[in-house]
Amino acid sequence: MSVDQKEQRSKSPRVMFRSSKKSETSTQVGIYSLNGSWAYLLTSPFFILFLIFGLAPIIYCIYIAFYQWDPLDPSMQVYVGVDNFRELWADSNFWIAVRNTFSIWAFSTIPQMFLAIGIASILRNPVLRAATVWRTLLLIPNITSVLAVALVFGQLFGREYGIINYFIGLSGFERVDFVEDTIPGHIAIAVMIIWRWVGYNSLIFLAAMLAIPNELYESASIDGASKWKTFWYVTLPQLKNTITFFLIVGTIGGLQVFAEPLILGGAAGGANRQFSTLTLFLFEQAFINVNWGYGAAIGLAITFIVLIISTINYFITRRIASSDN
Amino acid sequence: MITTKIRAFLLALALSLSALIAVGAPASVQAEECTKTLKIWSFGDVFLPRLILQYKQQNPGICFDIKKSDLDPLNGTQMITACAAANSHTGPDIAAVEIQYSGYWRAYPQCFVDLRTLKRTSDGKSAKELKSLYLPWRFDNGVAYNGNVIGLPTDVGGLEVAYRWDLLKAKGLPYKRAAVSKAISTWPKFIDFGKQYMAKLTKSEKALKMGFLDNAGAIYTAMINQGTKKYYENNGTAAGKLIYSTNPTIKKAYNTTVTALKAGIGTRVAQFSSDWSVGMQKGKFAMMLAPAWMMDYIKQQASATKGKWDIANIPGGGGNQGGTQLTIPTAGNPLNRQAAWDFLSWYVAPEQQKFAFLTYGMFPTTVSLYKDPEVTGFNDPFFNNAPVGKIYSEGVQKLKPIFAGKYDRAIDKEIGAALTRIDVLISKKKAFNALNEWKTAMTNIAKIAK
Repeated sequence: MSVDQKEQRSKSPRVMFRSSKKSETSTQVGIYSLNGSWAYLLTSPFFILFLIFGLAPIIYCIYIAFYQWDPLDPSMQVYVGVDNFRELWADSNFWIAVRNTFSIWAFSTIPQMFLAIGIASILRNPVLRAATVWRTLLLIPNITSVLAVALVFGQLFGREYGIINYFIGLSGFERVDFVEDTIPGHIAIAVMIIWRWVGYNSLIFLAAMLAIPNELYESASIDGASKWKTFWYVTLPQLKNTITFFLIVGTIGGLQVFAEPLILGGAAGGANRQFSTLTLFLFEQAFINVNWGYGAAIGLAITFIVLIISTINYFITRRIASSDN
Repeated sequence: MITTKIRAFLLALALSLSALIAVGAPASVQAEECTKTLKIWSFGDVFLPRLILQYKQQNPGICFDIKKSDLDPLNGTQMITACAAANSHTGPDIAAVEIQYSGYWRAYPQCFVDLRTLKRTSDGKSAKELKSLYLPWRFDNGVAYNGNVIGLPTDVGGLEVAYRWDLLKAKGLPYKRAAVSKAISTWPKFIDFGKQYMAKLTKSEKALKMGFLDNAGAIYTAMINQGTKKYYENNGTAAGKLIYSTNPTIKKAYNTTVTALKAGIGTRVAQFSSDWSVGMQKGKFAMMLAPAWMMDYIKQQASATKGKWDIANIPGGGGNQGGTQLTIPTAGNPLNRQAAWDFLSWYVAPEQQKFAFLTYGMFPTTVSLYKDPEVTGFNDPFFNNAPVGKIYSEGVQKLKPIFAGKYDRAIDKEIGAALTRIDVLISKKKAFNALNEWKTAMTNIAKIAK
């Protein structure tokens, strides 16, 4: 390699950079006029925080998943290879946690979607008075502390003196034990989740509905479509993308359910592990059973499950997008 | 009309402003001069405001920054994180450790300052000299495996039996203190007594699911603490030897609890649930196993039942549930250690523990108070003037030290779950196999405690 060539190689990118910078400054104004190095500086706070609080813990978690780990005692930090994962695969408690997580997810997400779309269509009605007040009220459950929600609902669902069982008793049915029985317990937790999130999701659906062009409704009414038919053939198809968004966010939220089952069932998630969700199982293994490496392995398993679901979501979204075209 | 509206608005504004000023004013006046601020991590009512105030008055310049969490996050997660980052010295100067966690924290002496190394400013005393003040087995809860003293005890959760004498009397059963204590002197007799009570419940009372004991599962915990060994045996090593599967005390406690569950003497409400508090008010159960600190809880939850309660001796003699040690974590500011020790050793001294007992029912760990006439002569009108001081001090002195280990809580959790599973099966009138549930618990524990 000649000196000349070297010179050229080292210079060429700089030249390119300069020329691109020139063209930017000459044609664009405002925030776009900032050159490359400034942009890096301005976006750096996010990346620095992400490195410290996001990436570093993830790497640490992957590292200790291959160890029998005690954070306070270096003599108890032993490399065990993939033993934690092998054990996890064979651990029936892990599969119970997977079952619980998806059961609670189904009980909370599907009814919530219908409820949220229903509330959004009511709020969309132009005849409704004080629309802003209603929209604001919907958000209040969302800003309530999840712990407070769990405590209050825990009382409502009480077996002996809970108000819900009082009404069940009045209507002549046997009292339901929302803590010791699996399916009623999952429903109780799903109710807490729905109560917290249905308002928020209604607003999302409302925003999507308001974005639907009015012409579509006008032509529908000219064609003599009934209200129900308008909803079914005009509104719903336009909400497809929003529904996908809702399902993705709902799935991520569903995999993180933690405080509600902890309050109702304790760290083990009840005697039959009926409340043991994936995150609660992780917490129990790491903090109660002092088995940190195993806890980290569960964390990675959760990540893996999220990846699978995201992939499925991705393909569904792509199909929806292509069918639109 | 517009002017009236504006006037109304201005008036409202003025009112709210004055309200703001009124709220803000005292805070600005009260600004204190702090030469030293002790950072404390606590839970529940470990630190009583009146005692803190007293210390501040005696030691001007010392301020407290008390952060209260729930017990499990505090002892289970926050303190672990603090210790792992101990070198940053941003952790608490004093932390409260509950007795359930003493087995865990005794495994990590490096997380705490050895209290034998600190000398009190007033008289130069360290934990070594103060040891004789405390109930020996309770002091041991704060001694690490390597002999370091990592905590001093604030209170002991002496366990006795609180019962509704009016309910027992209505059923024609013995209801006077001495007679009840005699009728339930052993656990089998206790279960028999419960059966007699259940047999006398009327149909409507049965329909209301009234029962003898609040939760029969509590018998297990009470019984395992009455022995000399629990899940571990002291074999000279730091970790101890796991004996949970072979220790006859554990198996006996398990079987007795199963018998009690089968006899149906419990109401099956979970302790500290809302059902439990309401049940206490309504006399749903006639008896509960009550640690000393629970007396205050009963008074708060069921104030209308004043005078209808009484206290009897627990079957088997003596018991413990709860109690706290105060520690000085190494994660705290090293410059505050002296001040922290001065305060800590003052707070757990006999005079302060006496105050905590007489006002809040938190039972003292200092042995001199067990002979103090003010304590032994203390009768509680809420509990039908029972001599609670005398009953509890006799009870806590009957207990022996128990070697606590790192996995105590995990083992408790698994055996407790087995008992609850049996309880649920019984309540649904389904068949159960106590031995199989025991084996399931043993398998689960073997996975955890290695």
